[in-house]
Formats: sequence, structure tokens, C-alpha cells
Amino acid sequence: MGFLDERLGLEGARKLAAHKRVPVHRQTPFYFLGGMALFLFIIQVVTGLLLSLFYNPAEDRAFESVQMIMTEVEFGWLIRSIHSWCANLLIGILYLHLLTTFFMRAYRRPREITWVTGVLLLFAFLALGFSGYLLPWNELAFFATRVGTAIVGVVPFIGDELLNFSRAGENVTGDTLARFYALHVAILPLTVFGLLGVHLYLVQKHGMSTPEPVIEARGGEDRVPSMPFVPHFLLRDLVGWYIALAILAALAALFPWELGEKVDPFAAAPEGIKPEWYFLFMFQALKKLPSHILGIEGELVGVLFFGVSFAIVLIAPFLDRGPRSRRVLVIMACMAVVFFLVMTAWGLME
Amino acid sequence: MSGNAMKSVPRRGFLKLVLTGMVGTLGMLLYPVARFLQPRKKGGGGALEVVAPYRVDELRPDAEGKWPSPFNFGGRPCLLVKSGDGKIRAFDAVCTHVDCTVEFRPDKKDIFCNCHNGIYDLEGRNISGPPPRPLKSLSVELRGDPGKEEIIVRPNES
Repeated sequence: MGFLDERLGLEGARKLAAHKRVPVHRQTPFYFLGGMALFLFIIQVVTGLLLSLFYNPAEDRAFESVQMIMTEVEFGWLIRSIHSWCANLLIGILYLHLLTTFFMRAYRRPREITWVTGVLLLFAFLALGFSGYLLPWNELAFFATRVGTAIVGVVPFIGDELLNFSRAGENVTGDTLARFYALHVAILPLTVFGLLGVHLYLVQKHGMSTPEPVIEARGGEDRVPSMPFVPHFLLRDLVGWYIALAILAALAALFPWELGEKVDPFAAAPEGIKPEWYFLFMFQALKKLPSHILGIEGELVGVLFFGVSFAIVLIAPFLDRGPRSRRVLVIMACMAVVFFLVMTAWGLME
Repeated sequence: MSGNAMKSVPRRGFLKLVLTGMVGTLGMLLYPVARFLQPRKKGGGGALEVVAPYRVDELRPDAEGKWPSPFNFGGRPCLLVKSGDGKIRAFDAVCTHVDCTVEFRPDKKDIFCNCHNGIYDLEGRNISGPPPRPLKSLSVELRGDPGKEEIIVRPNES
């Protein structure tokens, strides 16, 4: 032990673990969401690495290789289904993590950068979901990518360049598949690791944020009861991870992820086409926007609206500058939640 | 100036020189990378002339009521439609909204996009839903035995 400690500085890590405490109050369960997201991300890394051993990112091989994973590779159906389901759970947990962090105002000084890296991580995970969706090279994925990249093409001034860059050409082709593969397995994961490093470092540095009403009710932050992170909170984390694993296994076993039809680049879009639920609110909004609003193309209005909304989410801590701006932010957040729920439900029903 | 000062470069000048060199090197490194990221030059913007994979008499719904699928017109899908008077028209089948591929609905006599419910009439005009512009039309020429002509599609002159 002395040998390792002298070389690795284990004592520092032990002290850090011994000192880390988690405040106990009614909102404490929300502290589990971050750890849950981390756990699901680790599952994504492991299952993703496994899938990459058989997957082949070529226009004439991608669909066939996923088909082979589902039918010939032992437990291939399980690994792929877990990867797909886990992606959905992960984004769901991240949405919740974002919301609870916002409404607990955990982003307030000095945790603004923790918030910003968290939102950037959410964007990176949405991009992972979008890029991973194309990899099986099926019809749904093909049109989802056509629509998603066409939306990028609406951006004023540089839209065409962005569209050509994201598709690696004018159309969605094998070159697009290669680009999305590189994004999905190398560029975005490296980005996530970098952002996650900063995010987790900041969480350790500043500790858990206690909501203001709790501090007020107790008459000071140091008077709020707390529990040690190791082992008390970690063991509770572990229970949550076990439950998540059980849910994932059940979903993957009972509802194996479908593969669909292989891409035919010239066929019409199939009926009832829809993106994953976490993009559905944007899809539905685009569907319902008229072709022109005040003389501007409807899709441009939609793209600008979502662009501004995401920018506001990203810099929310810096917009919260007092009771009045705080009230405006909370009202906007509530409207965003209602918008998301209504649009998603509407999209699911159609 | 003494001969000594002539030979030595002032510290500020030296730093400027090094900085310029570094910026230059960075530019030289980034330029090929930026060019590398550009799409390859290739077709995909349409063709000069394509003979459709079906003849006039084959241009009808199949047993399941499905209209013949769009075909490859130089990298882009081309849709053939037939109106009530028997006139055949060809369109670039990419929806002007967000690039889905549209289909012909013979029963409803319109061109429909499954992605966001955009509707065009048989002249390609956007009449309902989110599409902001009409479909790009292509010119059609029929050649061969009456009733069984080959359908030749070309870009529109205009």
C-alpha cells in the first residue's frame, strides 16, 4: 500500500472520498440523475465497442452487418438492443437532469461552468443519438438524416456549406455514412470524455448544490444534514444502477430493436415516418409550421426559434441576474416543458 | 548605428518573426485539413438524359395500389406522374421542405410527402402543408410504339 501511495498519491484520493458529503433534504433523489447518466454512458461505451467489432460502415455492407449482428453473432441482438434502448434512456435521464438542475437553481454561482459543460454534454449526446441512428443504413434512418441535415441547410448565409459538410456532398450517400460513423465512434466520444472530465471535476470541486429554500429553512448551508458519499450515497447509487440494468435487460429482451428495410436512395419516404421521441418535438413543430410566416420560409422561422432557445438554455446561469429575470426564466422553462410535452404527445398520436 | 546593432535582431522583431512563422505553419497545417473535409466532386446533381425503367403502359398502380417508385436521375430521384387526361409529367422527387422523397397518390390525384404531410398538385405546385416552393419539373419525351412508348426524361431548358 505504501509503495502504491508513494507513486500514485492514493492518500489524496482517499481523503477526497472521505470528505465528500451529499446534502439530505426532500430533493436529494434528484442528485442520483447525474450518476445514473454516467452509468448509462459507460454501458454505451462497452456495448458500442462490442458492436464495432462486427459493424461495417460501408454503403453496401452496413445494413447487412447489422443484420448479421442481430441474427448470426451470439447475443448480438442483445448487445444491439441494449445499445439502442440505453441511448433512449440516457437522453431521457439527461433531459430530467437538466430540468431538475434548472428548477433547483443548482447552476447559481459558482457552478455556472458546471451547467454550461452539462448542456454541451446534452448536445453531444443528442448528436450521438442522431449520428448513431444512421449507422444501420435503413429507410427510417436515411430519411431522418435527410431531414436533419436539410434543417441545417436552412441556417442563413452558411446553410449550403453546412449541409454539404454534414452530408459530405449534396445527397446522403456512403460518404455521409462514413462521416457519421467517424462522428459517432471517435469525434463525439472524445468530445464527451473531455467535457465529462471538466464536468465531474467541477462537481467534485464545488460539491453538491443545496437548494436555497432548504438553506433558509435550516438557517445556513452548514446546518443542512448530509450523508457521506462513500459508502452511503454510493450504495444508493448502486441500487439505482441495478434497477436501470434490469429495465434495460427487460426492454432489450422483450422489445428487441427493429432493423427495418434497407435504404433505397430513390424510393419515396415510407408512410408514418417519425424520428426518435427525443427529436419528435422539433419534427412535429416543423410539420405544423405553415410554408411562410410573415414572408419568411416557415422552416427558417422554426430553425431560428430552436437555435435561440438552445442558446438561452446554454447560457441560462448568466441570464439569471435577479428576481425579475429569474421569474422570466422560470416562466420560459415552464413554457418549454409544456411545448415539449404537447408537441411530443401530438407527434406520437399522429 | 554601430556594426553590432546591424547584425543583431531586436527582441521585439525576433518575437514577431517567430510568431509570423508559427501562424504561417498553422495555416499550412490547417489548409489541407480544411480542403480534406470538403465533399468529393461527383455526380448527384441530375443527369442530361435518362430513359425511365418503365414504359407508358407500365406506369400504373401495381396489385397493392402502389405507384412505380421514383428512379435514379443522375443521383436524384425522379418521379413520373400521370394525370387524368393521360399526360405524363416528370419531377425532381425531392420535397422542397426538408428533402424527403415525395410519392404520387393516384387515388387522391396529388403528390404527397410522408415526412411532414406536404402536398403538391400534379403540376408540382405546393398546395398544402409546409413545402415553400413547387417541385422542380423535368421535361418528358415519349418515343416508340403508341401506348408502349419509352419515357425519356431530361432537365428542363428553363
